Formats: sequence, structure tokens, C-alpha cells
Amino acid sequence: MDSLTFLLSGTILAATPLLIAALGELIVEKSGVLNLSVEGMMALAAATGFIVVSATGSHWLALFAGGIAAMLLSAVFAVVVLFALGNQVASGIAVGILGLGLAGLIGTPYEGMTVAPMARAPVPLLSDIPVLGPGLFNHPLIVYLVPLVAVLLWWMFRTAKLGLVIRAVGESPESAHAVGYNVLAVRFAAVLVGGFMAGVGGAFISVVSSTLWSDGMIAGRGWIVIALVVFAMWRVERVVLGAYLFGMFAIAELLVQSMGISAPSQLLTSVPYIATIVAIALLSRDGRRIRLNAPVSLGRVYAGTH
Amino acid sequence: MRTILLSGILAAATTLTGAAAAEPTTIGFIYPAPVADVGWAKQLDLGREAVAEAFGDRVRTVAVENIPVGPDAGRVMNQLVTDGAKVMVLGSFGYMNDGLRLARQHPDVAFMHASGFKQADNLGTFTARNYEGFYLAGLAAGMVTESDTIGIVAAFAVPEVIAEVNAVALAVRQVNPEATIRTVWLNTWFDPPKEQEAARALVSQGADVLFSLHQDTPSVVNVAQAEGVRVVNTGSDMSSHGPDAVLASVVSDWSGYFVRSVGAALDGSFEGVDERGGLADGTVSVAAWSDDLTDEQLAQIRQVEADLKSGAAHVFAGPLRDQSGEVRVEEGASLPDPEIFSMNWLVEGLSGSLPN
Repeated sequence: MDSLTFLLSGTILAATPLLIAALGELIVEKSGVLNLSVEGMMALAAATGFIVVSATGSHWLALFAGGIAAMLLSAVFAVVVLFALGNQVASGIAVGILGLGLAGLIGTPYEGMTVAPMARAPVPLLSDIPVLGPGLFNHPLIVYLVPLVAVLLWWMFRTAKLGLVIRAVGESPESAHAVGYNVLAVRFAAVLVGGFMAGVGGAFISVVSSTLWSDGMIAGRGWIVIALVVFAMWRVERVVLGAYLFGMFAIAELLVQSMGISAPSQLLTSVPYIATIVAIALLSRDGRRIRLNAPVSLGRVYAGTH
Repeated sequence: MRTILLSGILAAATTLTGAAAAEPTTIGFIYPAPVADVGWAKQLDLGREAVAEAFGDRVRTVAVENIPVGPDAGRVMNQLVTDGAKVMVLGSFGYMNDGLRLARQHPDVAFMHASGFKQADNLGTFTARNYEGFYLAGLAAGMVTESDTIGIVAAFAVPEVIAEVNAVALAVRQVNPEATIRTVWLNTWFDPPKEQEAARALVSQGADVLFSLHQDTPSVVNVAQAEGVRVVNTGSDMSSHGPDAVLASVVSDWSGYFVRSVGAALDGSFEGVDERGGLADGTVSVAAWSDDLTDEQLAQIRQVEADLKSGAAHVFAGPLRDQSGEVRVEEGASLPDPEIFSMNWLVEGLSGSLPN
């Protein structure tokens, strides 16, 4: 495998879990809820997915089970912030810590174990293109589905009624309520869907890209997901760009070192963060548009109207 | 999560019923990671088992797993000492300051601290000369590589790991002067997905033997197995995770040191010294030599092993030059211990640069 092929395939594998989780978080935040428990949801899903794939050998079932586990955890969060009116930041962090703890607990018997990789699904014709083919089109099927989800969400938030309702609830829950939408139901559903997607992202890491479980292996990726959504100014296309950029620079850093090029590795380690921030900041340098993009009621407790 | 392993629990019950004469000494162990079937915590726990075995009824061992460095660690070790532990094994570099404070408060408790650089009268430190094991594995790597490219996945550029990278480079060059050695510094002690990405990056550059320096899980071993390349790992024998891939595992065995130190603590002769175990005393060994090494190659490696053990050879024997070509060790001399354990330079011929 040459360097460029590895750069492409490594980027795809590194970016996919971040992208699916970030798209999920985007749905949640568009509805006006800030769920900071992504790290915990991804960890719990990674452990659950790993246990399921060890027991059944089915990677698809493992990804689904990971999604469900994270969704259940997000339901706890949703009940606390939507019905008990808990502070979203504090509740999200608390539920995240709960998720990390549960992941360690259920994962203990599987610590350091490995499983077989997921079968690859090379795209006919496209995977035969030199360099690009093996880099971009020779991955497990789930890898290609994630960008399709992004396209669907982009369309949904732009024109579909469902997307517009979620946006209305996130911008002004009072107005959405006044025209007859059930704010809490929309937000509850958004949190669950976002939780499921964070879970698929977490399970992807343990089941597809790493094929091993170890407590703490999410290693901060959940926080990167949240940062991606904010730096992307809640725009689907920028979340996609941010996730792939971050993945690419994370791989490029390792590739540069492995090519024997002399560069301070600590500087290289920080490049993915700096580059992603700079790129998205350049795209979002118009402050007025940022304010237009941010869901106005994000993080605010909605106590209902009468 | 946090499991408390109690061994000799019956002995503990005896003390409750008042049989004071045979009261066992409690020995507390704190590990930074869960005890898995391989890894750093597992090797420490094997040492704990050796202590329990060696002293039988005289000791009661208590192990607390997966204690992250920070306030939790201080609380847990404080609790163990309050509960009567007279010997403490602190299994992470990061426990240093909490351990030292506790050691000052409890001069009657003996402490053994992993990889630390500060000692006290009742606090000793222990480190393995893993570089000796990696030198032997480096010889094997230089012999079996077909692409003449060796890839090293290295956790952090601290002296211990730098010494290991240098040892690998010196050994590979010893048997294969043509070989290229590529190093990826991760700047993290624990991030399995990133460790694997680094391993794949090295394979994409043609490396057919990987070194997994201080990765606690079989992350790199897993990649080597999937990519069909060789791997040498740190800590435990990981050949079950990469049956075709593992060329050798550099294994740490703390049982000798733990048994010796606990014995000293029991008879009151414990001293807070800095212990550096290597091949000679069995703290470091190389396990799981691949069957693909020929008898001739293995014999050559064993000869070097014997010379390192007897002191006839030294990994960092002169003449040694660093990357800039400056002579660091004169011919006929070898690098003294303090300089090995504060190493901050790479040997001549290694590519890449160290973080400052």
C-alpha cells in the first residue's frame, strides 16, 4: 500500500465514527438540547458492541446493539433535562461519566481482547481505480452509509418538514408550541436518535476500526465530536468537512513520522486540532451568520407554556 | 471497574477472632489499569500472586485495579494504609507525589513505587531495563526483515522509551546495516485506535517488523496479525493475540523484586532504594520467540543474551554517536546508568526527531 492510499483509507476509518456521532449530536443541538455525554455514550456503545460481536460474530448486530445501549443512556439524560428540568451541561457531564463507568464495568471480562474484522465490501468498478480505489472504496459497507446519512440530514434540515420542525423547536420552543408542536416529544426523539448515532460511532471504533476492547479506548473522541458540531456552526456540510479534515490530519501526522521526515512530533500531534479549527473558523468568519446558525434556545431549560 | 481482590481472606478472619500471634501483614497493590489477561497491571498482579505464594499465611494481599492518577489514587492508598497495610506497591509513575506524601506520614509502612525517580527511607522505586530485552528482539527483527524496514510505535519520548528505541536501532544495525528504522511517537500512553493507525502508517511505508513500545493492549499486535507483518511487544506474552505475527514479547516479571522487598519489609530491613532489574536477575525476559527464527539465529541471540547477563556485553557500549554525529560514548566505555535513565538523544542513523 502506498502512502496516498493509506492516507485516504486511514482518513475514512478515523473520520467515520466521528462523523456519525457528530451528525447525531447535530440533530440533538438543532432541537435546542446540548448533550455533553457523547464520550460516555460512545464508550458504553463500544463495550456493548464488542460484547455482542464476541458473542454472535455479527458486526451489524454489534453496531446496532451499541446504538441501542447509547440510546438508553441518552434516554436517562433526556428524562433528566426535559422532564426534571435539570441543567443540560451538568446533566450531560454526569450521564457521560455514568456511561464511562458502565462501559468499564460491563467490559471488564473483555479487557484487551480482540475480534475478527468486519468483512470489506469493495465497490464494484470504483475499487479498481488505482490508488483512489483501495483508499476510498474498499471498506466495510457501514463506511459508505455514513456520508449518505449526512446527505439525508442536509436535505432534511433544509427543506423537509421534520427538519424544519426540529429547527423551530430549537430556535423558539414557545413559538413551536404555539403552532401546535409538542416540544418535549420532538426534543426527546432528537436526543434518542442522537444517542443512537453516537452509539453506532462508538461501536464502530471497537468493532470495525480497532477490533479490540479496552477501558478508556474512546480517549476523548466524544469531546472532539462536540467540538466539531460547534466549530461547524451547526451546518451539516461543515460537520462532514470538519470530520474528514480532522481524520485526515490525524492520519497525516502519523504518516509524516512513519516516512522518517524530521518534525517535532508534539507539534504534529496538535496539527489536526489546529488545522480543523482554522479551516472551519475561516469558513465561519462572518459573526452575523454564526448567530443565525446557532440554535437560539440551545442549552436553555424549557419549562413549557400555558 | 474497581474490583478488590482479596487473597488470604481466611487469614484475615482469624485475626478478627483474636488469633493475634499469627496476624498476617497486609500488602496493598494499586494498579492504574484493570487486570486483563495481558498488560502492565497483569504483570504487577503476577508479582502479587508470587508474594502471596511465597509468604503464605504471613501476608494478606489486597489489590485495587483501575485507579486513575489523580485524587482517587491518593484516597485509595490512604484508605489501604489506614486499613492497616504495612507494605504498599504503587503501580504507576503518576502515583509519585501522593505516595511520597503518604510515605512521610507513615514511616512504618514500606512503599514500592513503579518508575519513580524520587526515593525516601521507606519508599523504593523499581524500573525494568526493558532496553536489554528490546536489544535481543532487535537482533531478531534485523534477521527476519525482508523489506529492511523496521517500524517502531512509541508511546512517549521519555528516557525509558528513548533508550528502548535506541536499543532496537543498535541491534537491528548490528545484524543488518542496510535496515531503515522508522519511529512514530504517539505522545500518549493510551489510545488504542491511534496506536493502530500508527502501526498501519508504518506498514504502508514498507515496515515488515513492528515494535510496540509501551502499548498496554494488543492494539499493534492485532494490526500486525491482520496486515501479515511481524511484531515485538512490551509487557506480556501477546502471542495468543497474534499467533503468526509475534516475533517476540519483552516480558517484565516483578515477582523476584516484590518477594525480595516484602521479605525485607517483614524482617525490618527494607530500604528505599532505586531498583533496576534486567535480564540478569530475570526481571526482563524475552518470551514467545517465533518458530520462524532458525536455530542458528536463536543461538546467536542467546549468546548475546548470555553476554548481557554476565556483563561481558553492554547494550550502550561505545563507540556510540548520536543523530548529529557527536560521540556520546567513547570506544571501550559504556553509557553509565544515570545517563541511560535520563536519555534524551537518538543514536546515529535513526530518522525523525525527539520532542524537546
